[in-house]
Amino acid sequence: MSESPAPGAPPAGASRARQYLTIFFVLFLLTIIEVAVAYAHGHKTEVVVVLFSLALVKAACVALFFMHLKWETRVLRATVVVPLSLPVLYALILISEAAWRRLAG
Amino acid sequence: MQSAVAHAHGTRELVLPQDPQFGRASAGKIAMWIFLVSDGLSFAGLLLAYGILRGESLVWRHPDEPALGVAFTAGLTFLLICSSVTMVFAYEAALHRDRKRAALLLGLTALGGALFLLGQYSEYFGILHPGLTKEGLVFGQSAYASTFYVITSFHGAHVFSGTVYILVTLIRWLRGNATAAQIELLGLFWHFVDLVWILVFTIVYLIPTG
Repeated sequence: MSESPAPGAPPAGASRARQYLTIFFVLFLLTIIEVAVAYAHGHKTEVVVVLFSLALVKAACVALFFMHLKWETRVLRATVVVPLSLPVLYALILISEAAWRRLAG
Repeated sequence: MQSAVAHAHGTRELVLPQDPQFGRASAGKIAMWIFLVSDGLSFAGLLLAYGILRGESLVWRHPDEPALGVAFTAGLTFLLICSSVTMVFAYEAALHRDRKRAALLLGLTALGGALFLLGQYSEYFGILHPGLTKEGLVFGQSAYASTFYVITSFHGAHVFSGTVYILVTLIRWLRGNATAAQIELLGLFWHFVDLVWILVFTIVYLIPTG
């Protein structure tokens, strides 16, 4: 007899294990791509944008699937996502402001 | 309002009624999420300060300071990802009341945490190689050095406390005093540690200094 999944857990079944393994391979693959991008001698701005995008995708995979946020209610998701979006917004404002100063200077 | 008490391993687990806003999320789970959000904001503060200092500096890494070991740290990142996978499968086993499998997977997760800490010690002080402190990366010497040690050691403190948390939960699970819901809360903390490392690895290690 199994304990019923805790609230917010993904739907039961073998597909859940398969989903966890899929996320593991996605994270593994994205980490390899990240390291390859870091070693590639590309334009710095492009490298930074690609690295940040990959990191955000990886972080979202962990939060949505491993932390089960995907299966939580909208209110609980908002409780987590809204406050944590504010530093990202602040970072974007700072980056824009610095870029503006460089262009103006 | 309806509530029930389920028995798991001799412990009493409260099954909460459906809440219109939070579904069946327990008070413990909501509290853990709120804690993780506040902890996440602490990391955000450190990373923003790092970004401001780095963005405004004319020379970020001085010629006499060592570069960070990306390949070695990528290995540590892979280790944390593996430990996140063993954690989700530990929760899965706990849901099926597979005591031995859950205990084994929790033990493997704790081992992953301990190996990560060993790797971080080796990176700082050296085990098979000199280590960053001996190579000239000294705390307080430059913003590059200080921000590196503050951010990575703050994360290391989380890995340490997470490993202790896993071991305590493992002992309680073996004694029949822990439930799957409690392992899920432990998992939330451990995955958060993994999630933060993904961002720290990218921002501190991968963004080129040149």
